[in-house]
Amino acid sequence: MAEATAPKPSSSVKLVLLGEAAVGKSSLVLRFVNNDFQENKEPTIGAAFLTQKCNLPTRTIKFEIWDTAGQERFASLAPMYYRNAQSALVVYDLTKPTSLIKAKHWVAELQRQASPGIVIALVGNKLDLTNETSSSNSLSEDGDEEVAEGDDTDGDARKVSTAEAKSYAIEEGLLFFETSAKNGTNVTEVFTAIANAIPETSLKGARGPGAAQTASRSEDQSRVNLTGPRDNVSKEGCAC
Amino acid sequence: MFNLSSLVQKAQSFIDPTQALNISASDRNPAKSTLFRHQFRLPDSQTPLQEITAELTISPPVAYSPNATQGEKDKDRDRGYHYAGKLHLSESYLCFSTQPTSFLQTASTSTSSGFTGQTHGAGPGGNGFTLPLCAIRRVERLHSQSYQFALAITTWNGLSNNAASETSKTPVLVQKITIQLAGTRPACERFCDGLKKGLKSGVGEVAKLKRVVSECYSEYLLQGDGRKEATPPDAGLGMIFRYPGDAKKLRDRSKMRLWGEYLRDYGRNITLIRQPTYHKLIRVGLPNRLRGEIWEQTSGSLFLRLENPLQYADTLQKFEGRDSLAIDEIEKDLNRSLPEYPGFQSEEGIGRLRRVLTAYSWTNEEVGYCQAMNIVVAALLIYMSESQAFFLLSTLCDRLLPGYYSTTMYGTLLDQRVFESLVEKTMPILWDHLVKADVQLSVVSLPWFLSLYINSMPLVFAFRVLDVFFLEGPKVLFQVGLAILRINGEDLLDASDDGAFISVLKSYFSKLDESAHPKSENSKLRAVTRFQELMVVAFKEFSGITQSTISEQRMKHKDSVLNSIENFAKRTSIRNLGPESKRLGVEDLGALYDRFFGVLYERQMRSQMILEETERRSKASRSRAAEVVHGLPENQVIEKGRVGLGPSPTLMDYDGFREFLSGMARWAISDSPSPSEKDSVSVTPKHSYFGNSLRRREASLSPWSEGNPEPADHEFMQRLFRRWDVDCNSSLTLQNVVTGLAQIKGKGDIMGSITYFFELYDDDGDGKVNREGILRISEALLFLSRRGLEGSLTPSSSMVGLSEYEAGNGAQVDMIQGNTNERFLSSVSAFIRRCFEYADPDHPTNQEEKSASEEKEKEVDNNAFDIGEDSDEEEDLLDLGPDAPPKSPKHRKKSTGLGGPPSPQKATRPGGRSVSIAQAEAANAALDPSKPLHITLPTFRMVVLADELLEQFFESSFPTSFRISDKMPTPGASGTSSLTTFSNLGFGRASTAPPNGIAVGGSTAGVVPPSKGLRGVLDNIVTDGMRVAAEVRRRMDEAQKEMEKNAVHRPDEDEEEEEVVIGPRDPERKSVRSEDRDLLEGADAEVMSIRGSEDIAKEKNESLSLTAGSNAGRLRRGSAASSKVVEFER
Repeated sequence: MAEATAPKPSSSVKLVLLGEAAVGKSSLVLRFVNNDFQENKEPTIGAAFLTQKCNLPTRTIKFEIWDTAGQERFASLAPMYYRNAQSALVVYDLTKPTSLIKAKHWVAELQRQASPGIVIALVGNKLDLTNETSSSNSLSEDGDEEVAEGDDTDGDARKVSTAEAKSYAIEEGLLFFETSAKNGTNVTEVFTAIANAIPETSLKGARGPGAAQTASRSEDQSRVNLTGPRDNVSKEGCAC
Repeated sequence: MFNLSSLVQKAQSFIDPTQALNISASDRNPAKSTLFRHQFRLPDSQTPLQEITAELTISPPVAYSPNATQGEKDKDRDRGYHYAGKLHLSESYLCFSTQPTSFLQTASTSTSSGFTGQTHGAGPGGNGFTLPLCAIRRVERLHSQSYQFALAITTWNGLSNNAASETSKTPVLVQKITIQLAGTRPACERFCDGLKKGLKSGVGEVAKLKRVVSECYSEYLLQGDGRKEATPPDAGLGMIFRYPGDAKKLRDRSKMRLWGEYLRDYGRNITLIRQPTYHKLIRVGLPNRLRGEIWEQTSGSLFLRLENPLQYADTLQKFEGRDSLAIDEIEKDLNRSLPEYPGFQSEEGIGRLRRVLTAYSWTNEEVGYCQAMNIVVAALLIYMSESQAFFLLSTLCDRLLPGYYSTTMYGTLLDQRVFESLVEKTMPILWDHLVKADVQLSVVSLPWFLSLYINSMPLVFAFRVLDVFFLEGPKVLFQVGLAILRINGEDLLDASDDGAFISVLKSYFSKLDESAHPKSENSKLRAVTRFQELMVVAFKEFSGITQSTISEQRMKHKDSVLNSIENFAKRTSIRNLGPESKRLGVEDLGALYDRFFGVLYERQMRSQMILEETERRSKASRSRAAEVVHGLPENQVIEKGRVGLGPSPTLMDYDGFREFLSGMARWAISDSPSPSEKDSVSVTPKHSYFGNSLRRREASLSPWSEGNPEPADHEFMQRLFRRWDVDCNSSLTLQNVVTGLAQIKGKGDIMGSITYFFELYDDDGDGKVNREGILRISEALLFLSRRGLEGSLTPSSSMVGLSEYEAGNGAQVDMIQGNTNERFLSSVSAFIRRCFEYADPDHPTNQEEKSASEEKEKEVDNNAFDIGEDSDEEEDLLDLGPDAPPKSPKHRKKSTGLGGPPSPQKATRPGGRSVSIAQAEAANAALDPSKPLHITLPTFRMVVLADELLEQFFESSFPTSFRISDKMPTPGASGTSSLTTFSNLGFGRASTAPPNGIAVGGSTAGVVPPSKGLRGVLDNIVTDGMRVAAEVRRRMDEAQKEMEKNAVHRPDEDEEEEEVVIGPRDPERKSVRSEDRDLLEGADAEVMSIRGSEDIAKEKNESLSLTAGSNAGRLRRGSAASSKVVEFER
């Protein structure tokens, strides 16, 4: 293997991001890949491709991330990108109820059209716009309804309750997270959870030439804006 | 299945019947006017009027002095450049090109499309000019001996500084060109006459011209050095925020000097003359400040601006403060368009971007805003003013990148397919590798095309590509793309997955400014940058990729791309239909979708045809030509409404709804069009819209003449429409239609149907239907049944003896059919009678007065019945629709006698309704309109259930009459699961095989009432004699098989296989069968199969004898049982 630090088996996983425009798909990827955040990201045209590794105790997963354009009319291009994807991140904006509807459409599309056994994670992004202090508790069921209804609470822009999205996710058998790409909450957790959920059998081994290029590639592919302020929130999770 | 593409063909044949006769010829017969417009990049308003072979002489500009002698002028003419070519005249342009091309209507196709230049008709190739007539100041006819006919044209070149020059008395450079016309004297005279006319009408445009020209940087550039105005015209954000790239490295100054010279000598902006140097200067890259203007000039957006200089400002003003979805989308992206360029970190730049994108989204609401437009417009704004960028964006979306930014992005997808096929053709090894490594090329190349390389290459290089692109057209994008792959071919062959592939290209783009041959000994070769190499490869190696190559490929792939988009759209929208839709099966939803959009599409096509017609004479077959140039219909004229092409109508109005219903339900078909309508249907289609194109009557442009039936119009349909139109906006969405149908077909229980029907007539929702409503209900029942009933209608109990008798005798189907319908009439009359019998009076006194007023009511009743009725309805009832066999009066009499209570003196009157009226009158006296009364739902239910025919109507024929998926009834629709009567009693399971078509699937598809299939088959046999033999044989086989199956207690497999073979007309049957099989495997299947075998045996016999009354016995039992249960429940 090319990486000295990883004697563990390594395999690559194709992951596709879907969701309404401006829900923060690219930002989630940017956070995951570069631990960075940009307020004004160029809209994705067609799709962007990035890679990032995720170290699990027993193996290393290399995510090949396809970040797709969110505008409605780009939807017909999506099949091109989710083709052969082993996992998908369906993102909605938890301050925008319509984006959850769109996300449900995507889930349905994936369940019918994508490769069988695809691991889907439903992700409500922009948690930073809600006034919940602790993200780790945000999944608790009680009190969520109040939060959802109490829109007029100061600074709380949440419009989609955790309970609502979560019950949907459970019903459909999806992984579910609420994240903030801006401050990094739960971002790596999502990817780690996906990596863990990918069945061992569906992993292909690292490809020879592909793996060799990985190291050099991840640098130019990451679309980093190094001038942007580096976020200080340090993330552990999987050693990405 | 409904096939959109066949519709397209049909529609095209409508538009031009002559073309339909010879489609292949017309495909290759592009309209000259379209080619002409594309060649000279003229606005759509222009058509070629005159053309003549000519020689152009461009004299070096002379300092104009009023005293110049004629001799001096002649001398000038002999100097300078000479070009032989063709001179063209349109409404307001004079164009010259050295490319030997004719656009006259009389010219052959090969001459008009035989381009030799680099652009092949898609841009101003060759040398020459495109001169607005208003830019011509003076035309002199020269009398010289060597030429028959020569014109000296003086232009308004440098017009804007004329005023200044007069005061300063310095000589002004005057652009003067000489054209010798080569033709017969009359031809030349004719041309000159045309020119004269054009010049006259062009005079008024000079003010516009001045305004347009004043925004051109060249005017400022060419002003005398000493008199430069303080403020140059806006040449983009670059003037404020610097232009991208290092001006020195780009040799901007020397480029500017060269262009300055060229423009001074050969005309600026609107009066520019293309000479070889012009093309060369563009290839080496435009200087920053002139870039916007030259883009405008080469793309032709300048002429668009000339046509309507204030459009941009006007649009902004008109829509100021208004909101739209596009604006929301634009706002999201404003901060993320070329964010690295300082201009777009400022309010100034973002404001401009916002205004241009918004203005365009208003002028082309179909496109609105598409991501990537923000990037393209941002790039344009660096070099041009807002107004210039606005028009260039229009040109991009309408002409250069057709369909790229549409809501389905079909243009983008199509060009990706084209690009892939070109790669396959030109680089087969690389292509094989891509296929093997499963790398999807379009994943990489799509952004190249969609954002014109702007976010793929460093900006300076992307702009160089744009320079050529605007001059030579879309093929440049392909050439550059191919060259990129060719140059990186070896590295790409090593790349084994998408990631590696992308990474190779990314690193290539980042090194475009480096030397292409860094290790070369030759210093000259070393100096060649990768970008230069790219340009050379693109335009030399791939010079074979021309506009016609692209067009050809687009034509070839268009259908498959549109189909896949449409499939995607269909899949998506069906999936998003919501929970109600689950009551209908997937196949049904698909069929509904096709029907719904098929109707909308056809209707759109028809209204489009009217519009087309108005333009038709002057601009014959213009849209076809666009296909040759673009490979796509121009402005989507031809296929407007096609889902794949972008925004298509999604709302159905009432007329569309009628048409929609008539495609599904027999009763929704009009019976006999009135004579005038008949006229327009059968005679006018070829003529009415030729001669009288403004005529908007539907009949004159309906597809009904193509065999589609004309829809009926009945109050019931209006009620249905209103019921389905839950948003109350007088139009239905697919969602409305699906929900509506799901309520009728999906419920599958008789109570549901009855309630639904009742609610249709309960106008104020108070649970009561008044007298008027009762009458209307009965009218609707007659309306719905006038073509015979579908599904399982068995004779009423009084008829049993007869029907069995008939069955035994093998009496004709006709008679049975007739009898059933007549019995239904009497059922309806009984219905009215009972309704009034059991109606609740609004005032208690009514009941007492009821009998007293009997006599009086007879007359009144007749009047009441006439309300809302039209006369041909009565006739319908007489012949029971065209399909039903003509009946003798004797029959009717007989059935009347057998049906309701006898009322002999009235029964002889023609018309079923009269019969009903009579009976109603005879039996019931509660018809006095002065005594309001009403029935409630329980009453209605009771009355319906009191009559077996009505009961069966609500139970099966009404829901069944909506045939979603195919032409035959779908008997599975009315499962009685909620009542469980049949299943409890052991009916129903036996005849699980629907006679044909698709069960309505879903949860209710299960319990199929017995024998309705056969009845349905027979009904259809009546309507379609051609299929009689096949159907009967099939039924026999089925029955046979079921018998065998039941004998071995194994209900399914082999039988299903056989089914598929036997019923090849209906590929979807299989799924139905499997659903049925599930049911068969249910707990009580065995009991039922035993039970059913008797019925089947019977059925078999009966179908052999071809009688409709065959299943009477079986169903009778079923319905009797069910009514018992119902009454009990009530």
